[in-house]
Amino acid sequence: MNREHTLSLLRQMIGEDKDFRPGQWEAIEAVAIKKQRALVVQRTGWGKSLVYFLATKLLREQGSGPTVLISPLLSLMRNQIEMAGRIGIRAFTINSANKEEWAAIEEALAKDECDLMLISPERLNNEHFLKEVLPHISGRIGLFVVDEAHCISDWGHDFRPDYRRIVRIVQMLPKGVPVLGTTATANDRVVKDVQAQLGPGLTVLRGPLARESLRLQNIRLPSQSERLAWLAENLPKFKSSGIIYCMTIADTERVTGWLKQKGFSAEAYHAGDDGVMDRTALEQAFLNNEIQILVATIALGMGFDKPDVGFVIHFQRPGSVVAYYQQVGRAGRELEKSYGILLSGEEDDDIQNYFIASAFPSTQVFQDVLKALEKSDGLTVPEILSRTNISRSMAEKALKLLEVDGAVGQTFDKKLLFFRTPNNWKPDVDRINRVLDLRKSELTQMQTYVDHRGCLMKFLLEELDDPNPSSCGHCANCQQKGFSASVAPDLLIEADNYLKRTQVFIRPHKQWPVGLFPDQKRNIPLELQNTPGHSLCYYGDAGWGKLVRVGKYEEAHFSDELVIAAFHLMRGFWNPEPFPAWVTSIPSARHPNLVSDFAGRLAKLLGIPFHPVLRRTCKAPEQKTMQNSTMQARNVIGTISIDSYIPPGAVLLVDDIVDSGWTLTMAGYLLKQKGSGPVYPFTLAQAAGRNIG
Amino acid sequence: MTLSLDSQAIVLLCSQIGLLSKSEFSPLTLREWNPLTRKLITASMRPGDLIGLTPQEIESQLAIGTKESERYFQLLQRSGMVAIELERLASLGIQLLTRADPEYPARYRERLRESSPAMLFYAGEKALLGQPGIAVVGSRHLDEAGQACAEFVGNSCGLSGLVLYSGGAKGVDTISMNAALTSRGTAVGIVADSLEKAIRSPENREALSRGDLCLATPYSPSAPFSVGTAMGRNKLIYTLADYAIVVASDAEKGGTWAGATEALRSKWIPIFVLDHIDMPEGNKMLIQRGAFQFPHPFVEDRLKLKTWLEEQSAKIKPDTSQLSLF
Repeated sequence: MNREHTLSLLRQMIGEDKDFRPGQWEAIEAVAIKKQRALVVQRTGWGKSLVYFLATKLLREQGSGPTVLISPLLSLMRNQIEMAGRIGIRAFTINSANKEEWAAIEEALAKDECDLMLISPERLNNEHFLKEVLPHISGRIGLFVVDEAHCISDWGHDFRPDYRRIVRIVQMLPKGVPVLGTTATANDRVVKDVQAQLGPGLTVLRGPLARESLRLQNIRLPSQSERLAWLAENLPKFKSSGIIYCMTIADTERVTGWLKQKGFSAEAYHAGDDGVMDRTALEQAFLNNEIQILVATIALGMGFDKPDVGFVIHFQRPGSVVAYYQQVGRAGRELEKSYGILLSGEEDDDIQNYFIASAFPSTQVFQDVLKALEKSDGLTVPEILSRTNISRSMAEKALKLLEVDGAVGQTFDKKLLFFRTPNNWKPDVDRINRVLDLRKSELTQMQTYVDHRGCLMKFLLEELDDPNPSSCGHCANCQQKGFSASVAPDLLIEADNYLKRTQVFIRPHKQWPVGLFPDQKRNIPLELQNTPGHSLCYYGDAGWGKLVRVGKYEEAHFSDELVIAAFHLMRGFWNPEPFPAWVTSIPSARHPNLVSDFAGRLAKLLGIPFHPVLRRTCKAPEQKTMQNSTMQARNVIGTISIDSYIPPGAVLLVDDIVDSGWTLTMAGYLLKQKGSGPVYPFTLAQAAGRNIG
Repeated sequence: MTLSLDSQAIVLLCSQIGLLSKSEFSPLTLREWNPLTRKLITASMRPGDLIGLTPQEIESQLAIGTKESERYFQLLQRSGMVAIELERLASLGIQLLTRADPEYPARYRERLRESSPAMLFYAGEKALLGQPGIAVVGSRHLDEAGQACAEFVGNSCGLSGLVLYSGGAKGVDTISMNAALTSRGTAVGIVADSLEKAIRSPENREALSRGDLCLATPYSPSAPFSVGTAMGRNKLIYTLADYAIVVASDAEKGGTWAGATEALRSKWIPIFVLDHIDMPEGNKMLIQRGAFQFPHPFVEDRLKLKTWLEEQSAKIKPDTSQLSLF
């Protein structure tokens, strides 16, 4: 009876000819009828959203309250909401990006016109949400869904501290409230851990993880130019849309620029740019096939569901088998044939080791943050940064972990304040080491996967503890054929040139950091700001980056090749108006001639004079050892001065590597104060570390 | 924090958590909760047994009206939300005790019986609640003698291992509490508002995490100040202590007066009032109504404060409170 009724609902949603996929009914029955707590482990695309929509419907018919769906994804896909609407389910998303809709959602909640509410784990700690929004569910939660439940486990590849809070909530929920955890990626160890944390009453429902349509292939192409060339050569062979995953933001931009140059419809997708990028709009355009290729970081992640993704290509190797399976699993959900191609390059290990090293703040960082907080009854993030020498991202990471551990609380009193709670705290060194060790062994496994000669799908399934792993018969290794690893020489040269002149912008600072000049306005007067500038490359890049490194650290001399490249940038792509009338450079106490020598040669080639008018007044610690803006700016103040005549006209301000940009900002400020024309900052390279992610 | 089923039921029925201020269903007041506990006993049920019942089951098992059972049912449905809010409070260092908990202060059960609050939110060391100690109360505005006395009592408590009980507010409360804590003693503050805010001050936080301080409130941890709550918690200060010293009171008005006269009437513990030449009118009237005199300055050894209070209160005092009726 129940099953039949549910099946007819399912058919209303997705079509009269459809039936339950194996495991779907069992999952619905467990939560909506038996009111159990269940963990569903099924491959992506299996249809978990159907399960929680149908379970919600059945529970609502029995008079239960609405479903609360905790998920890290940004929003429900429009097609999912439409699908749910066909059986009368009204679903809403509450996130920080849709504040203008909150009032309407609160009203719907108050009238009991909301059946399912999607909220992010972060929201669960938001006072406004807890006090003003959640109570509208007239107090009742009918079903508690934890999407991507593997995040609960710190054995998972994607442990998220916010999920620890979810665990404690689930533990406090009375037995009568059904709980549904869903995940596509959980090996035995993770499942056991989730089970241990959510309570022994958890029923585990496991399905096969193999993806029939997916054809896997691994290709080693050490240099970035080879991989770019390979993409340009092979992408036209795919008729459908697809995703290219990169490990860093800079790489997504670079790959996108190349693909656009080669005439592809491609867009970059990442969580950088301070949230300027409209990711929801990009997702939507990609879903509608208005964009053919999305070049994404892992920010395009969980919950993104496009049924006709024809290929997932990795431009770099991910850090673990589980992460790889999850990302490649976005291909071919409803296609007969799709491709998962892993390109692996020389920079892969460096990137992954960087991620591992920066995964957790150091004990010192935790202690510095706590010490700053202990002296007050609440500080904003900028206030914390002005009292510690910690980078913003590390400070935020530390705050998040401390908050989940109950050592730090947050409150909103006109602005967001963090404060020390009375709960005792010490760093869980064991936990941190355990996770780091695990990441390292995952990395080793991934290295093994790249060179694996047997069935690739079987390798993945074995790592994921699939109950019945077997050879897929259609990966490149099973078939003994696949895409060629060789690339056309002319494309290779073109890609190489592209990398060498990839433009890197220097954005001028518009404000001093908080706390630098407490008694002054933060805005830098417009007439004393720099003009937007350029770097030749990212430091350490495959293009010019290598030459910059060699010049700075090995030869103590920047090659003429770099001077010529800078000249081409100045006269070619950049060609600023008005063109600089003279050149100056940032003085260095450590290497007094390195930059000025380069700047002099560049000036000569450009045919304009070089005037070294800036002077170091004392030796400051290297700027790269300063971890946040306030400290960086403070380190520069007073160490640069001008004591000579300033020639008229626009000036090109040269330095070797720009990191925080405060040195350039301060020098430009002084130059303009003394009456120079527009100041154009130019550097050979831009430090990439802070841009990773 | 893990809550017993009984405690869960009490929070669901008696707290404002997860309810909007203009909600259709209001939580039970003590006056409503007490008769319900009697009905539960009659039906040989525990509070936790109510969780998961339908309105009809509640109605028939407790033999009550439809409207009442519907209200209980609706309140009990808030478990998800309450779980989320309690988790947030726990992460801030705020825990919960209910009348169903064995650790609930025994002195409340004995002295207040049905007036003991159904729930207490607290931060810090809960074992301090009800350990031997002295309560100091008084208005926020203190004269010099009052300040000296508050400091003296706090200091004596600290040095002689007694808990200093107060309302955790500005003025006399803070002075005596800090005096107790700086002499390496312990203190309890029963606050009337914003426990969430009180735990944030660096001084309080340190003492809380050392286990030297417990701040507790029967109200919502984010409750704003109101005269009603300030009055309502007075008895919760007196009834935890062995003795109370009223430092300064207005006459026939204000929270200190109301609390002190209530304490005198209820005879929970001996009440002392600071007695000096410039004492406020309220002090004089409290002494007329039967409070013991507490001299200023106190000439005995400060370590003997408790013994002195004991001896003084053993002297039978003529019951003058009756006189005020006429």
